[in-house]
This record gives sequence, structure tokens and C-alpha cells, in this order.
Amino acid sequence: MSESITLLAMFHDIEPASEGVEKLQQFGLDDDDMNVISGIPIKHSILGRPAAITYVSRIGLFGAILGMFLGIFFIYGIPYLYPLLVGGQPIFPIPQGFIITFEMTMLGLMGFSFIGMFVDSGFPSYTPKQYTPEISDGKVALLFSCPAGEQEKFVDALKEAGAESVAPVEARHL
Amino acid sequence: MTTAAKPLARRHAEEHEDLRQFIMHDPLPRGKMNAMAMESMHATSPIFWVVTAVLAAIVVFALGYEWYILIMKGQGTAGVTRPDYWGVFLVNTVFWIGISHAGTFISAILRVLKIESRRPFTRAAELMTTFGLVQAGLSIFMHLGRVWLVYWMFPIPNERQIWPDFHSPLMWDLMAITTYLLCSTMYLFLPLIPDLAMARDRTQGGWLKPFYKILALGFRGTEGEWKNLVTAMNIFAFAIIPVMFSVHTIVSWDFAMASRPGWSSTVFGPYFVIGALHSGMAAVAIVLFLLRSTMKYYDYFIRAEQFNTIGTLMLLVSMAWAYFYFNDYLVPWYGGDVWDKLVQEYTEKGSLAYLWYTMLIVNIAVPWATLWNKKWRETPWLLAIVGLLINVGMYLERYIIIPVGVTINRMPFTWRQYEPRIEIPMTIGTFALFLLLYMIASRIIPLIPVWEVQEGQEAHLIRKIGKAEISTLSEME
Repeated sequence: MSESITLLAMFHDIEPASEGVEKLQQFGLDDDDMNVISGIPIKHSILGRPAAITYVSRIGLFGAILGMFLGIFFIYGIPYLYPLLVGGQPIFPIPQGFIITFEMTMLGLMGFSFIGMFVDSGFPSYTPKQYTPEISDGKVALLFSCPAGEQEKFVDALKEAGAESVAPVEARHL
Repeated sequence: MTTAAKPLARRHAEEHEDLRQFIMHDPLPRGKMNAMAMESMHATSPIFWVVTAVLAAIVVFALGYEWYILIMKGQGTAGVTRPDYWGVFLVNTVFWIGISHAGTFISAILRVLKIESRRPFTRAAELMTTFGLVQAGLSIFMHLGRVWLVYWMFPIPNERQIWPDFHSPLMWDLMAITTYLLCSTMYLFLPLIPDLAMARDRTQGGWLKPFYKILALGFRGTEGEWKNLVTAMNIFAFAIIPVMFSVHTIVSWDFAMASRPGWSSTVFGPYFVIGALHSGMAAVAIVLFLLRSTMKYYDYFIRAEQFNTIGTLMLLVSMAWAYFYFNDYLVPWYGGDVWDKLVQEYTEKGSLAYLWYTMLIVNIAVPWATLWNKKWRETPWLLAIVGLLINVGMYLERYIIIPVGVTINRMPFTWRQYEPRIEIPMTIGTFALFLLLYMIASRIIPLIPVWEVQEGQEAHLIRKIGKAEISTLSEME
């Protein structure tokens, strides 16, 4: 099996970057072997790429359920353990139960969505990465791996698509 | 014979509106906008440091020394005594929670509704939420007196075998405000990550480099990272709106659940929510004016259209507030309950009646008289003055509800007019701390969400249809 090399192609705009993606796909490069890095979110259909999978909403939903049960415990479990009669009110009231249950459900939903974003993105991560600061200045980068022997073919194709530069990239500390 | 059934209107100046006056149609290269956002943080004049030092001194005196006095000598140093056990500290709590509401609400609701003019100022508004809630939290602790016993409210095992009563509105308050503070802070942080990464990329050395590096979490802007971030932001934008509503509704229940004249009202929940938005929107107008006036390049990011958006919201909220206030006023007036009547008479004709009239003028008459006019809405200083007056009015409203309200109760022999004492410097301290935190934040984090502005500019195009240029918006997300 031939050795592969990681290249970073820089584009000044989204349009040529999507052309670049198409070129790589034409060369038979798998979608998992390339990644578009940009300073703004770009819809996958604009780039002609499959949608990225995210588990954030599922993790958030799990958190919401967890929060709901915690809220139910607070409102019904605690009075069960330590009954406190106030003004003739019932120990296990239903209307009041909605309030704490709602707050804890929402806290669980948002807290776990936040954590989910960290977990799913692998944050925080301070290891060296393939990146260039020009990306946050508006350039669109196409990071991909190709067989080392065919590097020239890929470089020429991407330059034809409008890449400003295509060069091997090494991981560095951000 | 003329072909037109009616005479044609003369061309109005607005028909020739140049779309490039709107930030979404006046794009700059992203690198240039980044440079502007970074330079605005670092371009600090000596006046900034003088103001910072003065605010810091006020905070040390008012929230350090005066609070020390309050703790050491007790609540007697404050004006609270029978029957006014709830005084200015709780007025401040409600006021600051109100201020905090508009920040997240504006950001979330405008994001959900895809109002594009929101893009440059969402973070400035969100920051108000976090810092406003800090003041609200401190004000509760001031009211608490023995602040070191706050852990009694936490459901943790203890030797006293006493657990918090989750059936109490005060516990609902604790849970709701904690939820809101945590969620608002997370909601502030999420869209900040790409801008922190930008700041990391543009910072060469010093303590700020590791600061940005740590907070940027290693963000690069890959497809997966953006997908996760946008998904989380969307969840927050939808979920935080009902939480916001719940928080101020629960704050209102602190009063409305008590069987006390003037408080026991079923309309208090929505009335408090709209009141919070009234003061919060007005505070956003003030903040935007201050940012635009003092921060370099902010006249590019914050324009007449942003003030117009806020001004329109202020007018709508003012009308809604008037509607709810009238509801809250009319029903007890008509109901004929003697104690409710006494509260209303004291408010309208008593020694503090001037507060009530001032409140009505600045909360209703002033915004209605000024904000109907688009040109006035787009005038930053005018909007800031209206915003300031509304906030004075909303502070008075809380003052009338709480200490003035508790003065008249069902035991006339206890009636006594409340007079704040140590509360006054401590209140000034919360305002100073809010401004101080905001000023410090303005030098550390980019207050303009540059990536969101660029995203909006990418999505907007000008299309010529017939003789007119029309703004079009593409669905990018």
C-alpha cells in the first residue's frame, strides 16, 4: 500500500472550495478522507458533501430526561424522606411539581447539549492540529489525504478549481 | 383625461434608500473585520482607565466596606423593619433579573425568527444577562443577611435533618435563577468559541495568548465542529426562551403567592415578564449607544438599523407593558376590596405618589411619544435617553410594588414608610460592578460576533428587480 500525504488547499471563497471538493470526489477520494475547514458554518449541500453526523441533540435529550427525573426527585422524593407540612398543603402536590420538574428538565437539556458539543467535537483539545490562521480570516481550507505518488495530480486539479495554494501540512500547536 | 384614478404620491426619500447603509450589504473582508474587532479591544484611552479606577473604587467601598458593615452590624443598618422587611435589596434583585432578561431573549428570539439585524449586537446583549444576573445574585445575598448560611437552601445531607421545601416559591426562585444563570452563561460561551479561536490566531504573546488558547478549546472550524456548535446553539435558542419566561414568572410568584393586598394577582406572571423585557430592551439601547460611542470601529458594526430594531421592540414592549399594567390596576380597582383600594390610594395620593406618576410618564408616555418615529429610533443618543428613562421608570415600578406595597397591609398599626439607608450605596455598588465587569470584558473578549456578521453578509445579496434594488437572503444554515 502506498504512503499517503496530507495536503491543505486554501481557497479564497466557498465557490472554488466546492469545486475543489468535486475534483477530489472525481478522483475517487472518499468523503471521510477530506474535511472542509472554514471561518463560518457552511451547509453541507453547498459544498456537495454528506452531512456531518452530530450526537448533540441526542445527548441533550438524554440530559433532559435525566433532569426531569432529578426534578421529580426534588419535588416528590425529598418530601417523602423529610415530610414538611406547610399551611395544610399536600406533601405531594401536582401543580407545584411542574415548576421544579420543568426547570431541571431544561437545565438537563441545555447542560447536556453543552457537554455534548464538547464530547462530540473532542473539546478541549490542545494537541497539534493541521490548521492555518488564515482560515479564521475568511479563507476556506480543504484538508485531505491522498497517495504520496499522486500529489502532483491533486495539486494541479485543485489549482485549476481555484485553490490559491495546495501544500503538505504538518500538525502544529494552535 | 388622466389615466390614474387618484393622484400619484410624490416620491418619498425612503424609496431611494441605499441598501449599502445596512451592514449585511456593506461587507468587508473577514480579515479586516477581525482586525477591527481586535483593535477595538486594544485601543484603550486614559479615560477608560480613569473610569475603571473610579468604578473599582466604588465597588470596593460599596460592595466591600458597606457590606462588611451590614454583616457586622446586622440588617438594622438597612432601612428594613416592620412592616417593610422587603426593601431595596429585593427591588435590585428584581430590577437586575429584568435587565438580564432582554439580553438572552433578544439574542434567542431574534435568532429563532432570523432577524438579520441582530447579528452584530447579540453578544453585547448576552453579556448583559450574565453580568445582570451576578448583580441579582449579590442583591439576594445582601437581603439574606447571614450570607454564610446560604447552603441551607441546598438539598445536601446535614446534621439539622432539615431539607429545603421545594414547594416554596423562594426555592423555585433559586432553581429558576440558577438554571437561567448557568444556561445563559453557556449560551454566551457557545457562539464565542469561533471568535476566541480568531483572537487566539491573531494574538502573538502575553497572557492573552494562553487565555484565548484555553478558551478556544482547540476549535478550528471543521465541518463536524460547526455542525455540533450550530446544533447546540439552536437547542439553546429555542430552549432558553421558555426558561426566561419561567424565571420572571417565578420571581412574580414570590409576591403573587402571598395573600397580600396589591400583590395577590393572577396577572403578575406575564406582567413581570413584560416588565423585565421593558427594562432589558431599554438597557440594550443604552449599552449599544455606549459601545458605539466609545469603542473604535463600532460605528461600522452598530448602525442605525440596529437601533431601529431595538427601538421598535422597545415601543412594542412598552405597549404590552401598558396593557398588562392596566389589567393589574383595573381589576383590584373594580373589585372593591378595601385593602386593595387602600394600596391604590396610597400609591396614587400618598407621600410617594410622585414616583407613581413619574413611572407612568417615563414607561408609557415617553416611549410612545418618541419611538413611533423611525428617524428618532435611529438616533442613538435619543434612544439611549429614552432607554435610561424607561429604566428609571421600571426601577420605580419595582420600588412601588415592593417597599411601597408592603407599607399598606392588613394591620394598619404597623404602617410605616420605608426609607433606604445602607441600601443606597450598595445599590450604587451593583451598578458600578455591572459597568466595571462590562468594561473589563470589552477589553478581553470580542463583543462583536465577527463570524456571525460574516455569515450574514455571505447570505445577503442585492438583486435588481425592475427599477429597484431588493435585498435578498439565502438560506445558508
